[in-house]
Amino acid sequence: MTPAGSVAEAAPETQALGSKAVVIEVKGLSKTYFRGKEKLDVLRDLSLTAHEGEFIALMGPSGSGKTTLLNIIAGLDRPSSGSVRVAGADLAGMSDSALAGFRAANVGFIFQTYNLLPVLTARENVELPLLLTSLGSAERRRRAETALKVVGLSERMDHYPRQLSGGQEQRVTIARAIVTDPKLIVADEPTGDLDRDSADEILSLLRKLQTEFKKTIIMVTHDPAAAESAGTVHHLDKGKFK
Amino acid sequence: MNLASLAARNVLRNKLRTVLTVLGVAVAILAFVLLRTVIWSWTVSAEYAAKDRVATRHKITFISPLPVRYKTQIEQIPGVTHVTWASWFGAKHPTRESDFFQSIAVDPPSFMAVYDEIILPAAQREKWLSNRQGALVGESLAKQFGWKVGDRVTLAGTIYPGDWQFDVDAIYTVKRSSLDKASLMFHWDYLNDSIDARRKDEAGWFISRVKNAGDAANTAKRIDTLFDDQDAQTLSMDEHAMNASFLGMFSAVLTAIDLVSIVILVIMMLILGNTIAMGVRERTNEYGMLRALGFLPKHIASFVLLEAMVVGLCGGGVGLLLAYPVVEQGLGRFLEENMGAMFPYFHVDAPIAGLALVLSVALGLVAAIVPAYQASKLNVVDSLRRVG
Repeated sequence: MTPAGSVAEAAPETQALGSKAVVIEVKGLSKTYFRGKEKLDVLRDLSLTAHEGEFIALMGPSGSGKTTLLNIIAGLDRPSSGSVRVAGADLAGMSDSALAGFRAANVGFIFQTYNLLPVLTARENVELPLLLTSLGSAERRRRAETALKVVGLSERMDHYPRQLSGGQEQRVTIARAIVTDPKLIVADEPTGDLDRDSADEILSLLRKLQTEFKKTIIMVTHDPAAAESAGTVHHLDKGKFK
Repeated sequence: MNLASLAARNVLRNKLRTVLTVLGVAVAILAFVLLRTVIWSWTVSAEYAAKDRVATRHKITFISPLPVRYKTQIEQIPGVTHVTWASWFGAKHPTRESDFFQSIAVDPPSFMAVYDEIILPAAQREKWLSNRQGALVGESLAKQFGWKVGDRVTLAGTIYPGDWQFDVDAIYTVKRSSLDKASLMFHWDYLNDSIDARRKDEAGWFISRVKNAGDAANTAKRIDTLFDDQDAQTLSMDEHAMNASFLGMFSAVLTAIDLVSIVILVIMMLILGNTIAMGVRERTNEYGMLRALGFLPKHIASFVLLEAMVVGLCGGGVGLLLAYPVVEQGLGRFLEENMGAMFPYFHVDAPIAGLALVLSVALGLVAAIVPAYQASKLNVVDSLRRVG
């Protein structure tokens, strides 16, 4: 991922990734919110590019705009101006339903608080995104089990979230994020609720997704140790890359 | 797992709240079934009236009598197979005056020919036909007063004052719901011979049986035409219309009960709507997650609506499970035995049960429309509550 104006920091990796496909291409991105009459410029004229297999960490103080940037790249939010292309799709011009379809096909989500459905087992939670596909139940089940094996939870497939530790719950979330084989994985403070050992396991798993499965990963984090796992770290402050 | 089963499993998210809501719906459905059964029971005689019977009364009012000799003329009308007549007697039990029941003076042979739904043992039938003071008693009425075949009972006359003695010769039941089981029938001759001359040879009404049920309306017209030039003109109608016109006198009460049953359902709907709205508020974050994964607003709305329908269906089912023993074994038996004249058949009618179940699901759906709409319109980013 190469933020405009930060070429020096990302230059070596950019050269190494030169032959790989561009997954994210953001140009002149700005995002403005209005709180009553007050205008808040959350993101200001950002440009960046990310290739297949990159693992990028976004850091910055609260309110710096890192989650907003993540949401826009993931197709959850819309820019006020500028263009956003992800996996070849122009997100700025998409309808809400087209964006939903884009997310289902191209983006895997990892949340800080896991957001697993308590009434579903680990396998069923992982199977959830596949309900939007035309796959039959047997194939959905098979793919969910494969994803859980990848994250090392094949012994816990029939456990409910309440029967799992925080680290295990986050691994289920990661399995859910990869079960549709998306090009992009977005992680919003994935280790924020975990102890150090569990956090390290999750970061190791994300690196595995990057290196073995060639996933492009963008992670928002406040944890410098977590950021070290990423190939590139970008700092945001007041809506701009530092 | 599919979208529907996911919605159904969400029902058990908060078990206590779901159980309480299901019980609330069940009680509402039970009350609805009870009230609708009251209306049904009250109107069942009209609903189940025989289609091949024509009732004839005085044109001006129910209480004005007609000459018994009209019977012979009505019998001549083509298509009429049997004619019987009857007079309202208005007896009261001497010690239980508030227990209303029908007591009617009839011509037994023709009465039995016209009302072929009556079932009674042959020996009792013969005894009643041959005993001038004999009474034919419905099994509900017999239970109500503890009467048995062979008993001699004394009843107080209201329209025909005095103490009247009857022998309980026969106890009947019926094979169709077109006649109640809470009436007392006795010989018209016994009445006619016991009253003063100016009231003799009068009939309260005639009932004719026609060969083809489809001819009932035409036969009614022919009967009335026949007596157009008589002093006592007639008003004839098929038995259903006759019973319905009688029930019309109670229409305000029936309408009130009808309204109460609807109000109960509206209350049920509000309870259900509140529960669903609480669930939606609690799951905002999950809906945000589902939207992030690619689920559409219509999916979210479907989850909420299906969940409400499942709760409604469960509540409706439990309500019906409660209604059957309460109505069939408890209240129904009591009412039939003690208020058989007003509620001759107090059962859960299958269409009422079906309606209750359909309404419990449909009202669940309606109750969830607003919460479902709100859930479907949630902003994904706001729902996830994460702003960087």
